[in-house]
Amino acid sequence: MQNNPYVPIPVDVDKIITEVTTKDIKTFRFTFVNKEDEENFKYLPGQFGELSIFGKGESPIGIASSPTQPGYIEFTVQKAGVVTSELHSMEEGARMGIRGPLGNTWPIEYLEGKNIVIVGGGFAFTTLRSLINYMIFEENRSSFGNITVVYGAREPGLLIYKDELAAWEKRDDINMNVTVDKGDETWTGREGFVPTVCKEVAPSSENAVAVICGPPIMIRFTLPVFFELGFSKENIYTSLEMRMKCGIGKCGRCNVGNKYVCKDGPVFSLAELDTLTKEY
Amino acid sequence: MEKRVIKKDALAGIIKNISNDMLVYAPVQDEDNVLFKVLEPGMEPLVEYANTKNAPKNFFFPQTETMMKYFRTERGRELAEVVEDAADAVLFGVRPCYARSFVLLDNIFDDPKYKDSYYIARREKTVIVSLACVHPPYTTCFCTSVGGHPMSLEGSDVVLTDLGDVYLAEFLTPKGEKLIEKMGNLEAADEALDAKKQELSDTAEKEIKSHIPANDIKPWLDENFENPFWDTIHRSCLACGTCTYLCPTCHCFDITDEVKGEEGRRIRTWDSCMSWLFTMETSGHNPRTSQKERWRQRLMHKFKYFVDNFGAVACVGCGRCVINCPVNIDIRKIVTDISKL
Ligand SMILES: Cc1cc2nc3c(=O)[nH]c(=O)nc-3n(C[C@H](O)[C@H](O)[C@H](O)COP(=O)(O)OP(=O)(O)OC[C@H]3O[C@@H](n4cnc5c(N)ncnc54)[C@H](O)[C@@H]3O)c2cc1C
Ligand code: SF4
Ligand code: SF4
Ligand code: FES
Repeated sequence: MQNNPYVPIPVDVDKIITEVTTKDIKTFRFTFVNKEDEENFKYLPGQFGELSIFGKGESPIGIASSPTQPGYIEFTVQKAGVVTSELHSMEEGARMGIRGPLGNTWPIEYLEGKNIVIVGGGFAFTTLRSLINYMIFEENRSSFGNITVVYGAREPGLLIYKDELAAWEKRDDINMNVTVDKGDETWTGREGFVPTVCKEVAPSSENAVAVICGPPIMIRFTLPVFFELGFSKENIYTSLEMRMKCGIGKCGRCNVGNKYVCKDGPVFSLAELDTLTKEY
Repeated sequence: MEKRVIKKDALAGIIKNISNDMLVYAPVQDEDNVLFKVLEPGMEPLVEYANTKNAPKNFFFPQTETMMKYFRTERGRELAEVVEDAADAVLFGVRPCYARSFVLLDNIFDDPKYKDSYYIARREKTVIVSLACVHPPYTTCFCTSVGGHPMSLEGSDVVLTDLGDVYLAEFLTPKGEKLIEKMGNLEAADEALDAKKQELSDTAEKEIKSHIPANDIKPWLDENFENPFWDTIHRSCLACGTCTYLCPTCHCFDITDEVKGEEGRRIRTWDSCMSWLFTMETSGHNPRTSQKERWRQRLMHKFKYFVDNFGAVACVGCGRCVINCPVNIDIRKIVTDISKL
């Protein structure tokens, strides 16, 4: 049974944070019911888990916490259909399951020794947050060069991880650029679309890798900016989404060309994506 | 390898006897169809039949299976039991193309990283007894074009070859050899039978009527994900999924939950890439918007992606999709047409 990859690991909902004013995005902190499950759950930023609610089903969700934060694991979830709605109606103390960690990771080893540019849009910032927390962790920070972050949402109320964003702003070892498409009366920060802000920030492509996640439209307009800045396709990474079920390359659902996004991805460089079919 | 001789009229009885102490899954007559089914006490399997309507993949990878059960507690629903019910079994009357299909499916369900416990447990406990196609049953059979042969031994534990008055029984694996003692007193086979078998093998190969250039189209598929040709095959397709459900190598599935009162179960069911829902995301975005993309996926998966990943075409040439498609879409024709592009 331990080796049955379909059996979820039991977890408890430890904490729920409502991230946005529209209330449809929440971060769930889970703790493991069994100590040995916690020890065996070894993950790196970029991976995902299948959140499993018996009676409702399972949903693949990127891991939003970092392995440098032991004792729990977090996911930030938008209320969408059956499973995510059930999750949103849950309360702290509830018991459910997780399968994972699944998929590949952001290319941590490759990122080491390089300047890192993180670009996120909307709530697709989750595994980027994991990566940022991983990189700025005391013992890891010196393994990475400059860290530049461009993160945007439609309006201030839709920015997620607000406390953390504020804490990162205060640090001098990470260059934060948080932007909203349109501010409100209280917003004192930057206004403008993510691609535009990337152009203004103009991170150097010298020994640098860009990691980009967001809605398709944001990615479409952001990529040309990075090509312009001299980033090669080998040095731009993103994460793909496809409908999933098994999460382990068996149910045949999530392939893009000859790769299964669940098993061979979700992280791909643009150079890798060029070799695949454009069907996602 | 052990070789024995089984008298023609004794075979059905021998298999029936085995079914007294082991689960036996075998071809039986079911109204107008021959289907693979569990032999109930007293039942004899068919030993002379053309081919079965369903492929025996159902035995390792059931159309519906319970994966686990759960129950309601104060804190939510919790696991009650993981259902792993594999028992010692014999899968009898498999055609060589199906025996090969299991070898192909192993690549998926038994990959180095993730082991599908359900499939693997059944696979390990099951002895596969094949009946060689001395006379390939249908004109639509094309196993020789996709790496198979009507008398292929690949994937079988025991192969029975009809030599006219007797069956030559070849016990190929240790698992297969264990079955000898359950078959009663079988005479040893003398070498003359091998020569006879070889002769039949040559004629069987010649009797295969359909030939397709399955291995020649890969370079075209590599380059032509976008091509007007893809507009030509799907138009009459009803998306019924018959081709994928009957195909011995199709392995797509869905996982769903079913609750009754305080209890519930998580089940796995066959699914089909021919359905529009298959890739439909909650947001409404669907990367495969029409039957064109779905048919391209089916063909690409079998003749390109599987080859890229596992070095073999994911079609064993059983011809089942050709015979059963309600609108006569013929994979042989599609492959042949591509080879001419
Ligand atoms: C690698 C990956 C990471 C993701 N990370 C996040 C995240 O951090 N936060 C977040 O809110 N969402 C994320 N998603 C999207 C999320 O998986 C879907 O929104 C979710 O599965 C919808 O499930 P549902 O049961 O609520 O919807 P329903 O429509 O009721 O679900 C049907 C089932 O289809 C599957 N499914 C439907 N849409 C998707 C989809 N877009 N992607 C994958 N499977 C789908 C799931 O198995 C789901 O249970 C991610 C998707 C992938 C593939
Ligand atoms: S059997 Fe024929 S009609 Fe049905 S999905 Fe397959 S190709 Fe389409
Ligand atoms: S002939 Fe059709 S049903 Fe048979 S293995 Fe090939 S694709 Fe599958
Ligand atoms: S989700 Fe099943 S193959 Fe990827």
